[in-house]
Amino acid sequence: MTGPSRVGQGAAAVLAFLLALGLAGAAGAAAAELQLVPNEVEIGAFFDGAQVKLQGAIPAGAAAVVEVLGSTATEKLLRKGRRGGLWMSVGEIKVENVPSLYILQSSSPEIPTLTATATPWGVAALQKVVKLSGSLEASEQGKFFQEFLELKKHEQVYRVSPGVLKLAPAPDGGSLVKGAIALPAKVPAGNYRVRLSAVLHGSLLSQRDAPLEVKMVGFPAMLMKLAYQQGALYGILAVVIAIVTGFIMGILFKGKTEH
Amino acid sequence: MWNLYLPIAGTSINILLLFGLGGLVGFLSGLFGVGGGFLMTPLLLMAGIPSTVAAASDSNQIVAASTSGTYAHWRMGNVDFKMGFLLLVGGVLGGTVGVQIIKILRAMGNADFVIKITYVLMLGIVGFYMFMESLQALRKKGVVEPKRGEPGKVSIYVRMIQALPWQMRFEKSGVTFSVLLPLILGVMVGILAAIMGVGGGFVMVPVMVYMLRMPMHVVVGTSLFQILFTCINVTVMQSITNHNVDLVLAVILLIGSTLGAQIGAKLSRRLHADQLKILLASIVLLVMVQILFSLILTPGQLLAYKGGH
Repeated sequence: MTGPSRVGQGAAAVLAFLLALGLAGAAGAAAAELQLVPNEVEIGAFFDGAQVKLQGAIPAGAAAVVEVLGSTATEKLLRKGRRGGLWMSVGEIKVENVPSLYILQSSSPEIPTLTATATPWGVAALQKVVKLSGSLEASEQGKFFQEFLELKKHEQVYRVSPGVLKLAPAPDGGSLVKGAIALPAKVPAGNYRVRLSAVLHGSLLSQRDAPLEVKMVGFPAMLMKLAYQQGALYGILAVVIAIVTGFIMGILFKGKTEH
Repeated sequence: MWNLYLPIAGTSINILLLFGLGGLVGFLSGLFGVGGGFLMTPLLLMAGIPSTVAAASDSNQIVAASTSGTYAHWRMGNVDFKMGFLLLVGGVLGGTVGVQIIKILRAMGNADFVIKITYVLMLGIVGFYMFMESLQALRKKGVVEPKRGEPGKVSIYVRMIQALPWQMRFEKSGVTFSVLLPLILGVMVGILAAIMGVGGGFVMVPVMVYMLRMPMHVVVGTSLFQILFTCINVTVMQSITNHNVDLVLAVILLIGSTLGAQIGAKLSRRLHADQLKILLASIVLLVMVQILFSLILTPGQLLAYKGGH
């Protein structure tokens, strides 16, 4: 039901949104609906983060939860500790299933949780998926998971924002969800999943997924390609640019101050 | 509108901030003959650049700053190419040895301890010695430069280096000694630089001043000449093996740093050798204190990404 609308095709997006609303109404306002504008974000030469507008529909009375999840990877981090009274890296901790981006939003002042089943979103859910191993004791798992979260929050790639989604009554009796996902400048290119869940009295009413693509275009894409596919050429190019600039600056200065 | 996206670093940054950082570090480079990596890499980290990308892109920036600086000093007749070449050969050999030492230390699991301690000790000793020496020299003005000969007192060091074979005259520096001496010292600095993960300019400069007895102005130019080649090597190697050089980051930095290096080189000509030395010593000591604090104070975060120093 989420039409394949693209960047700049705002009219089509609105139309698809209205269509989705109509269909949701027909289904008795039971299913959550989700629309992203744009659903494709481009990283160009002047990219400094982006705003993705989010519109959805959920059953009346329910709270909305939006989760943005990036693809997962394994990361190796250095653990700091004390040696001879001094702080330094004392070992390596392997972290598996690390999402490249994690954003959690809700319409309620606190992130809703489920009572009957385990809540599939939030820090607790993340902790079940993310595996820490390496130079740490079993008793330190919780502590270093928190440290891991702090590191990611500091980088602005993990963010939990309760209460930022706005609800409004929809003509069909359901609720209209409006919000915005602020993608940080550090967002890696890749495919993201945005999931809207409707929660009422601790139970999950409905869920809806929408894909979000972030891709590098233009100059950054070209440079990345060169750096990874032609490493030697890239390195030589970097050196030549540096030497030429150094000389030009030298000659410019000679002309200005000594003659 | 002043933000630019850095594809390899994977983040965006303010152009004016980068330009200013480049200018500042380039200025120090032209003034003292150091690459400035020991200042730039931590500054870039603070600006949110991943440490591996910061270190690699900085070496690319140093290529430009040291080209600009070497050129400026060469026009003033301050580059001893013969000496620089010998130190460079020694430095490359030492660097290779140092990388192996680090590998062994890493396997033994205490690489970081050795690196940090070496860092603090080297900065502390070099900074303190330079500071005291130039402070003394500044106090008794006038008898500063002729001190070098010291005909009455022949130290063990002087007797040792005079006993080495293949004595050679270094015209630009005005010294005569064995070809082996700069080679050996180059190896030693190369080992240290590889262990500490830096270019080694701030160790090389005092070595040239105190162990090779070169005049300060020639030291700065010669050091820059040698740093230029070290950093060309690092830039190309990093590009091939780790893909860590961010060209956008490096270009903005180097526009600033080449400009700064010219101004620094001009100023180095105006300042007295001992004023230069005491300024460099102060910066080295400041960096040492900063590292010492980071070792003693409890860090805000107990996990960190790999790379950098």
